[in-house]
Amino acid sequence: MAPKLKNKQLATPVVKGKKGKDVVDERFQAIVLTDSFETRFMPMTSTKPRCLLPLCNIPLIEYTLEFLENSGINEVFLLCTNHANQIQSYIENSKKWNSKSSPLKILCVVSMESHSIGDSMRDLDNRGLIVGDFLLISGDVVTNLDFSKLLKFHNEKKAQDKDHMLTMVLNKASPLHKTRSYKDPAAFVLDKDTNRCLYYQSIPSVDGKKSSINIELELLEDAGEDLIIRNDLIDCQIDICSLPVLSTFQDNFDYQTLRNDFVRGVLTSDLLKKTIYCYISNDSSEYASRVESWQTYDSISQDILSRWCYPLVPDMNLTEDNSYSYEFNNIYKEDQVVLATTCKIETCTCIGRNSNIGEGTIIKNSIIGKNCQIGNNVIIKNSYIWDNSIIGDGSNLNHTIIGSDSIIGENVQLFPGSIIGFNVKIGNDKTIPPNVKIIKDGDNYEPDADIIGEDGEGFIYESDKEFDDSESTTTATESNTGFMYQVKTLNLSDDSINSFTNKKMKKRNNHKRRFSSNSMMSENLQFESELELEDEDFHKEGLATVLRAINNNHDIDTALLELNTLRMSMNVTYHEVRLVTIQALLHKIVEFISTDTLLPKEATTKIFSSWGKMFKRQVFSNDEQIDLLSILIDEISKLNQEYNQIVLFISVKVLYDLDILEEEQILKWWEEDKSNEQVKSLLEKFITWLQEADEEESEEESDDDEE
Amino acid sequence: MTSKQIITPEIHSLIDPVISNLKRHQLIEDKDVALTIAKLLMKVISVSKWSNPQELIEIIRKVGLIIHKSYPRKIIPGNIVRRVLFIIREETIEEEDNINSNFPMMSSMFSLLTTNKRKEDQIQVAKPKEKTSDLRSIIAQGIRELIDEISNVNEGIENMIADLIHDNEVLLTPTPNSDSVLHFLIKAKTKRNFTVLVTENYPNDIEKSHYFVKKLAEHKIETILIPDSTSYAVMSRVGKVIIGTNAVFANGGCLSNSGVSQVVECAKEHKTPVFAVAGLYKLSPLYPFTKDDLIEVGNSGKVLNYDDYKLIENVQVVTNTLEDYIPPDLIDIFITNIGGFASTFIYRIVLDNYKVEDNKLD
Repeated sequence: MAPKLKNKQLATPVVKGKKGKDVVDERFQAIVLTDSFETRFMPMTSTKPRCLLPLCNIPLIEYTLEFLENSGINEVFLLCTNHANQIQSYIENSKKWNSKSSPLKILCVVSMESHSIGDSMRDLDNRGLIVGDFLLISGDVVTNLDFSKLLKFHNEKKAQDKDHMLTMVLNKASPLHKTRSYKDPAAFVLDKDTNRCLYYQSIPSVDGKKSSINIELELLEDAGEDLIIRNDLIDCQIDICSLPVLSTFQDNFDYQTLRNDFVRGVLTSDLLKKTIYCYISNDSSEYASRVESWQTYDSISQDILSRWCYPLVPDMNLTEDNSYSYEFNNIYKEDQVVLATTCKIETCTCIGRNSNIGEGTIIKNSIIGKNCQIGNNVIIKNSYIWDNSIIGDGSNLNHTIIGSDSIIGENVQLFPGSIIGFNVKIGNDKTIPPNVKIIKDGDNYEPDADIIGEDGEGFIYESDKEFDDSESTTTATESNTGFMYQVKTLNLSDDSINSFTNKKMKKRNNHKRRFSSNSMMSENLQFESELELEDEDFHKEGLATVLRAINNNHDIDTALLELNTLRMSMNVTYHEVRLVTIQALLHKIVEFISTDTLLPKEATTKIFSSWGKMFKRQVFSNDEQIDLLSILIDEISKLNQEYNQIVLFISVKVLYDLDILEEEQILKWWEEDKSNEQVKSLLEKFITWLQEADEEESEEESDDDEE
Repeated sequence: MTSKQIITPEIHSLIDPVISNLKRHQLIEDKDVALTIAKLLMKVISVSKWSNPQELIEIIRKVGLIIHKSYPRKIIPGNIVRRVLFIIREETIEEEDNINSNFPMMSSMFSLLTTNKRKEDQIQVAKPKEKTSDLRSIIAQGIRELIDEISNVNEGIENMIADLIHDNEVLLTPTPNSDSVLHFLIKAKTKRNFTVLVTENYPNDIEKSHYFVKKLAEHKIETILIPDSTSYAVMSRVGKVIIGTNAVFANGGCLSNSGVSQVVECAKEHKTPVFAVAGLYKLSPLYPFTKDDLIEVGNSGKVLNYDDYKLIENVQVVTNTLEDYIPPDLIDIFITNIGGFASTFIYRIVLDNYKVEDNKLD
């Protein structure tokens, strides 16, 4: 009996909000996105998924799961795409999550076909696993948030606002905060009193090239008195969603990213009328952030060591086999660490089990994994060395990351920003220049004995050979950010290489773009060649679609759906859609007239009155009405002069009657558009009639006023 | 024997929730921790399979080790485990003694209290089967007494009030988070009139200190909330300093909130007596050899604002210690639920309640 009841209550979200969280807590589901569909952690993520990369020697996903377990959530769906088998086997082999006493039920949902977050969400919706409000979180979140407060906020907002759809968790920081993403910072426009999010705008990169955001006034219409525009928030991608989120993804199958597509889409949509709220914690001891680039990897690692995320600290020993203990100055050591007497362990350092540190070695602000062998007189600063690595005597590491099982020879110099992948071997006395990434297997990359040494193993991974550009961006960033020396700048440049790569790759791949999994960026990057090609395709296909609909007498909804599908898959604007529709309609009219089936007037009335309704879902704003008129007149003027005036007159009239074109817009267009005078002659009468009607109306109004 | 064989899945399912609570620091109140652990051990004893007391001791030690590792800086779980071990050992030794018909030495005050009850059980000793089930119930009884003792700890402490506080005295307490101190003062009000100065304990316990002051004021005790920095200035007027404790070590030193250390140093300058209030369960048989390893370090965000980026960037280490170690010579009297003792006498009470062989659990 009891479980049935529970389900019932969960199925109706309204009940939940009122009955308090006890009911909700019974079964709260969470979706963990283990794949971000980004390439920021390449080359490391080529062999290991991001969520299994070690952060303070613990796989990233453990932090997210810890948060979920702590939150009292009991069902977790891990959405896996890349390296799904690794994630699955990790969970299966984990004593903690596999034990019967574990309060979390973890289910791996593998959706190999997904190429974006949007795809995953749609896939999940199709499986019908989610029954009520759920938590959507990415698998790389580190937080000590009090979930009950968040849930309370969510339920309050839900009770107040029935259109409430999503609660986003944001964390206070400052615009140039090291834990804030430099890769995709975003500005939020919030209602000051209610924390309702009115607008979301991502700002491309932190280098200050773009410093303004454009907000449409319409969006602010129903806002409260005070607005705040904030550019100092860390977006940690922890969202409490209600069920309509999934269906929104389903309806808008062009949505790919959670923020740029979904949140923006919802906020700017006239149709959805849903609201999004932001939860910003006021407690200074609450910490939330996302490991989404090397820069944040670095800063979050340091934050954890500096106990900003307490009680989520290494000596909490999240996984069972850990045994960290804390020493003053934020030094953490596990059991069986062997330190030579003369080595110096300085602040903010973490050393894993069975690691050996040699004589005269200095380690500062770094994390050393398990079973590492660090030689004598090594200097390691601000670096991350993963498990089982060997560092030879006299090497110098600064702001670098060394993957597991790597071997670094003696007297090797690693310059800031260099990343050494898994199982790489670097020979003695070598120097790795800044921002070089080296990986074990690289079929497409060139081996370089100069860099890795004669006996070295590995290839240079270059996302792109755009070093000149990247350097210039580095300097630009440096000058702009001033005091922000350290890994951030360097990793930042690394990021900019990355974004550059994305662009480049797109250009090259051109048509394959949609099918390559790693370039799922927003649609901002359009290229003309691509556009033209797709335009033609769309033109042909679209015309055929509408004609087919008319000929086979489909209902309008079907035709619109087909057209919309086409629009999304080809990625064209509504202008194109209108053009195609008008062309198809005119084509049909001409067909009727030329075959003498109907007279021009009748043909136009028939076609436009039954199919003109299609524009209802193609024309939304005033500008678009004018656009429609321009298209109409352009296309009609191409027709036979014998009847084109009639067609124009009738079509405009019908569209006016259908309320697709508004009087004002027609008049406005009439004023502005002075071309094609010949066609317009008949239409003029209509316009005059409109104007008169308008005047009468206004006269009447003024009469009313006088009275 | 590995821990796997000893710790059965049933036991694991019992201890796992407690461990994760401890790990997440959700179980903070000392009394709650003590009670939870005691109840947990009771359950463990009832579900675990053992044929002789040695095995049971082994199980409890293993469980104790797991609990200890989940939050090594918390002393109380270890204390409770050792107390339970003490109960088990006392029972078994007695039985062995009974078999040898040697009357036990009056080795401790605890056995003084418990011997007479046991004589009736002598007959059953011979049959091993019944022995275990019997032992089980005796141990359960012992733990129940322990739970009673913990839950009624404040009452025991309150008994000494009249002897300790004078009329119109000014008291200072730097530990507003201590439940025992609160009860102690409220109870004292029924017999005496006095003024209490309370330090704010910024940043970690500031809310608790406000609550504490409010509670005292509700009981019509004249209460003054003072900033932490002024403790030296007010010390000349203070008659007694009353501190709560997080743990008391065998040498008479104790752990208390951060900020207490400076207050007791001030008290020493002014020769003001310092009373430490501690339930018996806070007494630990351990010696504080490495003081730094005992102190829990908390959230840095309480000390500095995380969003103050420019400042954070230039700070090497932010440390927010949650506890202070107070050396024994700074404390005059420990007020426990079994009476008041000088810090030099704590070792004796420890011996009465713990067995030396359990000091190390691994």
